[in-house]
Parts: sequence; C-alpha cells; structure tokens
Amino acid sequence: MQEIMEDFLIEAFEMVDQLDQDLVELESNPEDLELLNRIFRVAHTIKGSSSFLNFDILTSLTHNMEDVLNKARRGELKITPDVMDVVLASIDLMKALLQAIKNSGTDANSGIDITDVVKKLQAISQGDAPATDSAQAQPQAESQAQDSAPQSESSSVASDNPLSDEPDKDYAHMSSEEVEAEIERLLKKRQEADKQKRAEKKAHGEVSDIQAPKPVDSTPITPKEATPAPKPATPISPKADVAKKPSTGKEETKTVATNVEQTVRVDVKRLDTLMNLIGELVLGKNRLIRIYGDMEERYDGEKFLEELNQIVSSVSSVTTDLQLAVMKTRMQPVGKVFSKFPRMVRDLSRELKKNIDLVITGEETELDKSVVEEIGDPLIHIIRNSCDHGIEPPEERKVLGKPEVGRVDLKAYNEGNHIVIEITDDGAGMDPEALKQKAIEKGLISEKEADSMSDKEAMGIIFKPGFSTSKVVTNVSGRGVGMDVVKTNVEKLNGIIEIDSEKGKGSTFKLKIPLTLAIMQTLLVTTQEEYYAIPLSSVIETVRVSQDEIYTVDGKSVLRLRDQVLSLVRLADIFNVNSVLEPSSEVYVVIVALAEQKIGVIVDDLIGQEEAVIKSLGYYLKSTRGIAGATVRGDGKITLIVDVAAMMEMAKEVKVSINSVIEDAQKAKIKSSPADYIVLAIDDSNTDRAIMKKCLKTLGVTVLEASNGLEGLEIVKNSDKPIDAVLVDIEMPRMDGYTFAAEVRKYNKFKNLPLIAVTSRTSKTDRMRGVESGMTEYITKPYTPEYLTNVVKRNIHLNIGDE
Amino acid sequence: MNGNKEMKDIFEQQKNTTGIGIGGETQDDNEESIQIIGFVVGNEEFAIPILNVKEIVKPIEFTRVPGTPPYVLGVFNMRGNVYPLIDLRLKFGLQSTKQDKDTRYLVVYQNDDIAGFVIDKLTAAITLPSSAIDPVPDTLASNQAEMIDGVGKREDQLITILKADALLKRDF
Repeated sequence: MQEIMEDFLIEAFEMVDQLDQDLVELESNPEDLELLNRIFRVAHTIKGSSSFLNFDILTSLTHNMEDVLNKARRGELKITPDVMDVVLASIDLMKALLQAIKNSGTDANSGIDITDVVKKLQAISQGDAPATDSAQAQPQAESQAQDSAPQSESSSVASDNPLSDEPDKDYAHMSSEEVEAEIERLLKKRQEADKQKRAEKKAHGEVSDIQAPKPVDSTPITPKEATPAPKPATPISPKADVAKKPSTGKEETKTVATNVEQTVRVDVKRLDTLMNLIGELVLGKNRLIRIYGDMEERYDGEKFLEELNQIVSSVSSVTTDLQLAVMKTRMQPVGKVFSKFPRMVRDLSRELKKNIDLVITGEETELDKSVVEEIGDPLIHIIRNSCDHGIEPPEERKVLGKPEVGRVDLKAYNEGNHIVIEITDDGAGMDPEALKQKAIEKGLISEKEADSMSDKEAMGIIFKPGFSTSKVVTNVSGRGVGMDVVKTNVEKLNGIIEIDSEKGKGSTFKLKIPLTLAIMQTLLVTTQEEYYAIPLSSVIETVRVSQDEIYTVDGKSVLRLRDQVLSLVRLADIFNVNSVLEPSSEVYVVIVALAEQKIGVIVDDLIGQEEAVIKSLGYYLKSTRGIAGATVRGDGKITLIVDVAAMMEMAKEVKVSINSVIEDAQKAKIKSSPADYIVLAIDDSNTDRAIMKKCLKTLGVTVLEASNGLEGLEIVKNSDKPIDAVLVDIEMPRMDGYTFAAEVRKYNKFKNLPLIAVTSRTSKTDRMRGVESGMTEYITKPYTPEYLTNVVKRNIHLNIGDE
Repeated sequence: MNGNKEMKDIFEQQKNTTGIGIGGETQDDNEESIQIIGFVVGNEEFAIPILNVKEIVKPIEFTRVPGTPPYVLGVFNMRGNVYPLIDLRLKFGLQSTKQDKDTRYLVVYQNDDIAGFVIDKLTAAITLPSSAIDPVPDTLASNQAEMIDGVGKREDQLITILKADALLKRDF
C-alpha cells in the first residue's frame, strides 16, 4: 500500500507540473482540444487513484474538476478567464492536498477547505448543462465521418492513451477510451496541416509521461470509475468502430510497453552513492597520474614506462568518461523548474493588472538534480521582481512608446562548466542614484559609501537584506526579503549574479551556476605552509602585483585593477595562518567573485587547477566557518575547500593593512648583534665541525651542530629561532647532504634558507647534483677560513661584521 | 504441510546450535565484564570500551582547520575518509608534547560519529569484570564527570574509563 501511495504521489506531482503549463497555454488557445484532453486526463487519473487510496477530499475535488473539464472538452463550455481562475484555484488546492498527503499520508486533516471551489466548479458545470445533447452529437458525427481515417495516423495520438486508459481495463471503459482516441484523431486530422510538427513533438513528450503510471495500482480503480465512464460511452453508437478498435488499441499499448522498459526509475540515493564512488575513483586517478609523473622522472627511458603510460592514460580517460556519464544520469532539464513560471506570471499579471509575456528559451538545458532543486526559489523572486518592479503598467508603457504587453525573457544556456540563466525584462530598469538614495534613507549604507560606489555596485544594493525600492508593498514583492534570498541561494550554489540595467530600457539578471556540486574544479593556492582549494567557478582571474600597487584606503588595502578598485585581504589573515614565510614584495592576487561581490585574495603561490571531489568535514567540523569541505589530493593529503561566501564575510572582518604587515615583518627581522644569527653546521666528523666553528667564531654568530642529515633536519624544523644558514657536508651516515637539501626544500618556509655544501667532492657532476638538490653554494675542502666566513656573511646578509 | 515440517526442523536445528554457542560463552565468564583499550595521556592511564575503537594507527599527516580550538589539530585522511583529529593532551588541559615513536591515533566511533584522538602511548586491551569498576567519585567537578564512565581497578592501578559519546561530542 505504501508503495502504491508513493507511486501515486510521484506520478501525481509529475502530472501537476505539466498541468500548470498546459492550463496557461489553454487560456490563450482555448480551442485546443488536445490540450483539454490532456488536462482532463490528469484530473481523471488523479481522481481514480485517490478514490482507490481513500483520499475522499481529493476525490471530490478532482471529480468536480473533471466534470467541468469534461464539458469544456466536449465543447459545451467555453473557457473564459473566469472559468480558468476557478480551474486554476482548484488545481492549487489539488497541489496543496497532494502535499498534505505527502507529508501526513492522508488528506483528511490537512485543514484545506475545498467546499468553496467545489461549489464554483459545480455552478460552472451545471450552468452550461443544457447544451449537452447538441454538443455531444457533434463529435459523434465527426467520429463517424472520420471513421475511415488511416490507422497509421493514430500512432502518435494513441500513445497518449495508456496514460488515461490504464485504469479502464474493463469493457465499458474500452469504449470510452476509444471515444477519446477518436476525438483526438479527429482533432489531429483537422489540425494536421499546420500542427503536424508540434503534435509529433508533444507525442514524444508524452512518451516520457507514460513511463510514470503504474498499471498495477490503477487497475483496481475500475469499480469506482463506473460513474464518469458511461457519459462519454453513451454517445458512441457506431458498433463496428468499437468492435474493430480494441485490437489496434492493444497493439499500441504493446509498443508503448516496450518503451517503458527502456527507462528505469532509480532512487536518488543510489545515484549519490555511485557519485561518491566515482569521486573515490577520480582521486585514485589523480594519484596514479602523480605517481606516473614521479616514475617518469626517476626511470626516464625505461621500457616499462611506455606501458605504464598507456595504462595510466586509458584509466584516466575511462574515469573521466565514467564521471561524465554518472553526472549525466543526475542531470535534469531546467525546464522542470521553468514549467511553473508561465502560471506564476499569468497569475501575477492578472493580479497586477499588467500585460506580461513570459518567453522561455533553452528549457532543455540540463543541470544536476541538486542544483535544479535549489535554483527554483531565486528564479521565482527574480521573475516576480521583474514583473512587479520592472514592467510598467500598460498605460505608462503606452506613454513611453513601448508595446503594451511587457516582455520577460527567461533564457538558459550552457557556458563551459556552467549554466547561465538570464532573466531580462523590457521594463523600467534600475536607477543607480535612486537606489543609493533609498539605501541611505534606510541606513543600509553611509553617504560616504554611496559616493564611492560605481553604478554596478549600486545595483548590488538590491541584494542587501531589508531593501526594497517599491513604494507600495504588494502581495507580490517589496517586503525586502526576496533579493536577499536570491543572493544566499545563489551563493550556496557557488554561483555568480550579474545585473545589467539601463534606466527606461529594462534589466537583465544573469545567474552563472556550476553544473554540479559533487565534483568541482578548483584553483589550488598556498598561503605559508597551508594549501587551500578555491572553487574555480568563483575565480575571475589571478594577477601578480608588486607591493607598490597596493594602496591603503581607510586602513584597508585596495588594489587598482584596470578600472576597478578591489579590496584586498590576505588568505593567511582570513584563516589565521601562522606566518613562517618572509613576505615578498610581489604577491599573487586571486580575484574572487560571488553573487555580485568581488574581492582580491592575496596568496603566496598558485599551484594550479585541480579537480576536487568534495567531502564533508564530518559532524565535528562541518560548521567550520569559511570552509566548505575537504578533498583528498593525489598524494593522499587533505586540502580544505574554501567556502567563498563565508570567506568574503570573514574578509570584511579582517583589519590588517597588508603594507604594514610587510613592513612590520621586515622590521622584526632586523637583528641587532651577530649573535642573533644562527648558523647550523652539519658534518659527521667532529674535527670538521670544530674547524667550521672556529672559522665562524670570528663573525660572532651562534653555531649549532649536527652530526648527520637527519639530525640536522630535525634541528632546522624544530628550532625555536629560525636558522639563518646551514653548512652541510655531503657524505654523511643516515642522511647525506643531497637528501638533506631536498628534504629542506620541500618546505615553503625554507625555500630561501641558504644551504652551503662543504665537501671534498669537486667533480662537475657533484656540483650539478648539489644545485639540483637545492644547495645555494658549494665550497670545496680544503678552504681558507676567510673564504668560508665571506660566503656565510654574504648569505646571511651580515653587515655588522664589516663595521 | 511437508514444507512446514521441514522448516520447523531447520528452526529447531538452528536453535540448538545457537544454544550451544551461548552456553559455551556463559561458561567462560559467569560474571559480566567489559573489554577496554587502555592508553596513556600525560601521567594518567585512560581507557575506552573496545567496541568504540575503530582502529589504532601510527601518526600520519593532518591538515589544520582554521577557526577551531587548539585541541582540534585538524583533519586526517584514512583510506579516503576525512576524520577530525583531536589532541587529548590539549583537551585535558595538559601541555602538548612532540609526537614520538609511541604516539598513536586512536580512532573512536559511536554510531556515525568518528574522530581520531592523539594519545601518548597505548597500553593494552584489558578485560575488566564489572565488579572492578567503580562509579565516578562525587567529588569530581561535573564537567569532568560527564566524560567519565567509571574508574576501573586493576592490580594496583586505576584506569579512568571514558565515555565515547562524550569524547566525540562537539563542544565548541
């Protein structure tokens, strides 16, 4: 039973979605019988299923709807806007009831009152009742006339049948379904010339609908259906027709049945699991590629490399394909969200007494299910705003010389790894000055801020919570919550909003949203010793700037980039990273944008682009501010993924002037006496260490000692005060000088630490190896004390000794 | 009917075998006991029920997570899973020390909550009879008492048995 109910709900919601669109279309096209039939069938099917499942309120509602639609379908009733309002109202109730059923499993205690609407529906259906006989005669006559219609014609139409007909498996209903088929076929004939293409398209569309109904749960409904069925059944008199049809009817059902088997309904959870597994695979692939890179370096020219290369590249291409394929299974056309907007705009335009045309393009553009679910709300708000604030009332439009009917364009298209959704209206547009004025009045910004704002920034004001330009608060919008919601929702999706508006001409909202949320492209950056991944979708560009280009305004650092002024903040300050690196005069700035804001983030180095599989930080750290998740990189280390929205918030709180940080650091580095300099001498021979020490004594620097590379490495890593230079022998037990140098250079903070090789190895290859492993200088034994002290002095920039 | 009888037989058989199994166990320990994993943090020996220990690993690299209290060292990767790493020394208000050859990560779980804890040294897996476990002394401050399940007596030592759920609780 539970299962039947779930199926019923899924099916019902799918049908209702389609219904809204059909109804709006019907209003502009009231003669379209095919549409009417489709709408009727939805009411009919829901009625059937709900009566079987004992949803009495829903049954009574749909029953009355069905009556009205049945009349309309038979041409006994003209669909006027007033009738439409009642029908739409009843559909809203139906949706509410379905929602109540979904939540509580029953429609009995939902608190939804349908009596009013039912009365209206009854009034409509009864008011026009007398016309029945004559009207019924007509389709009947036509059906006879067209009896000879070629059978082949029926296939596209008949594919609709199973949807409505499955409930009617018994003989009485066979005939009723034939009536429907007849009517549709007649209609087809009539409109064939001009509508053939469209009809085919629809038939295709309906094939997907057919997959939804479950024959199992609908069959037992038949007894209840006895009441409505006789009505359409009676007008059918041509017995020959009825007798002939069932056979073809069955054939058609068969072809449809094979279609049904081509798709499988899969639980989203399973797809999620699959996606997670693919994520692991992607990580494995990244790791494999990295290892291959290492191998290539080490065993250059070996034969097995060729083979390994082939395997690695084939695994990586298969993984990429697999990832795409699984991502595709989660893709849904954005039309699923768009389908509710025509109805919304219709209601709005009636309510606001405006004429508005909603033009939708690109509804077939696909994006991830999770994104589709999130994107609905922001779009509703933007479209509402366009209708309410954007489009002017008809009289005003006339005066302005614009067409009376306002136009709102909803457009979706792909752009790289993103989907772009554009909402354009040809209404009043936004006035940056007015926006600023209003924001100052409401105390959202200060006058000073307003003055320094560009027009684009001014338009960003509409996203501030508590802002609304509409003078009157309407039912529709203007309570100052809407656009704020848009912003947070789009941020949640890592999307970007762009506003473009010209006063008097209209506005365009451009939403740029990543296709999927599970795997994302990131820009890997380092700050001090830490790595962070910034979602690439939020990165606009990266630039390298020198310290002179950074200005301080109001204690905050800003960067002038082309015609823009960006506020700058160090990633290390946002995340309180310990400073270990000496600041350099040139820095990398990653320009990050989210929704309508932009900032420049200073990092120490850019590593590159990397595909990140997002993992949650788990229950313990999930709510960590500024961190969206983690990803395991190719080397098995975890890198945190930046939550750009939160990071931007945190950036506002950071009050550190970058220039002063750099200056302070430089000041702190100044050492007053030679003893502040620490030099580490690593040699396995005591004598050699003693000689070094003796030489350096003349400089007055502090000397630490280590007897092998491993010991030296520990001292370098764990010393309280930073080591200023290292003198290192090459041949040592446990860890030699080359390995030591390579290990030290692995740390960012030791990138510039002078490493001076002191060795008796003098060949050119030895020197080469020294350079490769990261040695700064190469001193050959034996050396003069003066030479050694000079080299050390030069490397630690010791000036005191000279004075 | 035939089928039913067969089924009955099977059930009977199963009952017998499981019965034997249970009987064997009860013979071994006629007194209730719990198994715990003992470890050292600072100068004290602690323990945690063995059923809450997912695994024990040698220290591996971890990644710092900004904006967390000092005792949260960061996150580490265990076979593709991201787990938080908590330094028990810092959590217990002790000085942090350098990790040495005895240092281990104790990966503790309760339901779906998993976290790694840095401990100084692992001692042993201990089976303690319930009679050897005393309740938490009343004199302990309430916030400490929350974390402690009881105090186990073993030879001349005392072992503080910790509650896994209290350890895993996020408290910042």
